[in-house]
Amino acid sequence: MIRGIWNRETVAMVWVAAALPLAVTWLLAEVNAGALRLIFVLIVGGLCQALFTVIRAQPPSLAGLVSALLIAMLAPQVGPLQFVIGIAFGFVFGELVFGGWGRSVLSPAVVAITFLGFAFPTGTWPHLPVQIGWATIPAAGLLLAFGVLPWRALAGAVIVLVAAGGFTLDLLGSAVAVVLVFILCDPATCASSPLGRWLAGALFGLLVALFASVWPAPTTQMGVSAALLVLLSMPLLDELAVALWRARRRFRHG
Amino acid sequence: MPTPQPWPQAVETVITAEAGLNLDPLIDMRMEALVQPGDSVGLGSPILKDRRHPEWVVTAPMSGRVAQLELGSGRRQANLLIHHDEKVKPHQFDIHAARAECDSKSGSNALRELLQSSGLWMRLRSRPFGRVPAGDAIPAMIMVIAVDTRPLAPDPRLAVEGEALDHLKLGLQALAALFDGPIRFYQDEGPAIVEESDRVTIARAGPLHPAGLAGSFIRREVRSGQDLNIWEITAEDVADIGYLLSEGSLAPTRLVSVAGPGLRETRLVRCQPGADLRELCYAYMSPGPRSILSGSVLEGREARWLGWRDRQVTVLERHDAHPQPHWLEGALRRASRPEPIIPTSAVEHALGGPMPGMALLRALAIGDDEAAAELGALAMLEEDLALVDYVTAASPRFTDLLRACLDRIEAMT
Repeated sequence: MIRGIWNRETVAMVWVAAALPLAVTWLLAEVNAGALRLIFVLIVGGLCQALFTVIRAQPPSLAGLVSALLIAMLAPQVGPLQFVIGIAFGFVFGELVFGGWGRSVLSPAVVAITFLGFAFPTGTWPHLPVQIGWATIPAAGLLLAFGVLPWRALAGAVIVLVAAGGFTLDLLGSAVAVVLVFILCDPATCASSPLGRWLAGALFGLLVALFASVWPAPTTQMGVSAALLVLLSMPLLDELAVALWRARRRFRHG
Repeated sequence: MPTPQPWPQAVETVITAEAGLNLDPLIDMRMEALVQPGDSVGLGSPILKDRRHPEWVVTAPMSGRVAQLELGSGRRQANLLIHHDEKVKPHQFDIHAARAECDSKSGSNALRELLQSSGLWMRLRSRPFGRVPAGDAIPAMIMVIAVDTRPLAPDPRLAVEGEALDHLKLGLQALAALFDGPIRFYQDEGPAIVEESDRVTIARAGPLHPAGLAGSFIRREVRSGQDLNIWEITAEDVADIGYLLSEGSLAPTRLVSVAGPGLRETRLVRCQPGADLRELCYAYMSPGPRSILSGSVLEGREARWLGWRDRQVTVLERHDAHPQPHWLEGALRRASRPEPIIPTSAVEHALGGPMPGMALLRALAIGDDEAAAELGALAMLEEDLALVDYVTAASPRFTDLLRACLDRIEAMT
């Protein structure tokens, strides 16, 4: 018997490869400040993972690199001490205490970013330039080609966002695109049933449209908040899909 | 899966000089030997019998002389070696009563008796749990499987063409006389192999594994549960039943593909059940260390003899030498829990069908038997999850988790 190669770390490698165009575009736009921020997050996140590796023999995952990039890109600007607390909180309570990437409910990026946003409301949220939105297209293409991205969630969200925005791409700005591809469509935390994925995408689109109409906040904050709510409801959506499947089966086969 | 090209068109008949017994691990027998080493046995003579189920009989795969017959601990395993001898005549069965029942479609006692004494009863497999059915059991449905989507498997159409097609039709007639339930004939998307009738209906499978497995079909079409009672048998075995009913002796060969990256030439052979895999492969291997699997690359096991239900032999390159891992890596690997499964579309495809597959995998992984049964685990056997194991390199294997779950459920019923 032979074994295949699509274990967790292979998927994580594809995940990191897809984030490269995003990282390059963002670093070209931000230059030195961005690089410094990214290195800072990588060091703090890496220390958290190393701590869990030594204490709990929990193998680290390459997917942490993408989480670090997302925190550096999307988190509000706060002082260095606050930033350390936020990153460590995100990595430890978003992912590592659950058993690492693939066992957690939330992504560390979304926990760290919302934590910083709620705890330090004076921090200014970053505005992502437009080319970063374009850079998510090759990333999503690569992930779709390797079958890593749950395409139903992506399609559901894009359809709802385009429809709610009056058939324009107004709602699908850079920040929302990045959050959609790299936080909502993270295969480890996204719903696992086909129907659950459609629902998750649609719910994300609806929440972003709702926030855009009633909440005068930066798009980054809106996108991350919507993603947090959808991620928290993922198990419910999955359970709903399984219950529907059972009911239909009982109806069809008597 | 690479194999030397071209894929052969012609089928050669090979009867290996030695043959043995490689029973399906799911067949749980307490064996009793009916012959002694040194005896001459004809093709189809009874060799082993189960003590608790006298209707489970293992018969000789070829005519010859028994060179070795040892029963293992608890009489659960047999070590059998037969040397081929052309001069011994095949065992003749009395088929008149069974043939009359088959033609008149009335009664089934003689037919049942004939199948059990010839050992063809052991080719049946029942779901749930995948055991050989008891001698007086009655299925709700029979699946005749004429499609094989495993990598490098032979095309079952080749096994049931020409004269074998008439045997297949006779065998289906016998199955219809034996049982009252519907018979589903599961085949590929090509032209129909047999005509549909009021008893036999055709179901089609797509070309991509795991579509050709009986489990995929059952999960799609049938509601699974404790009351699931489906028997499956391959079309070639049904043709063997027809052969027995028309000739009075067992069919001597089955169609087997010998393929894999460790060969110089891919072959299609007709050989006896339990054939010597070394003899089939040695002359065609490429140089270097090789391992010979009975079965496909997904679920095959290294073996000396062709497996009970296997219709393919896979020769792989052997990688014995593992470099010593770094001590920290080794310590981490031993101490850590296994890595989780990420639900990519490859896993989705490997699970096949519209069922909530990841929910089933999670239920199996945490040992939640009730949820697993609700989600269709009772319709599955190891082969249905072999592709998931391959794709995800999961540890522990889902096939083992499924078997443990089925064993626990079986022990409760």
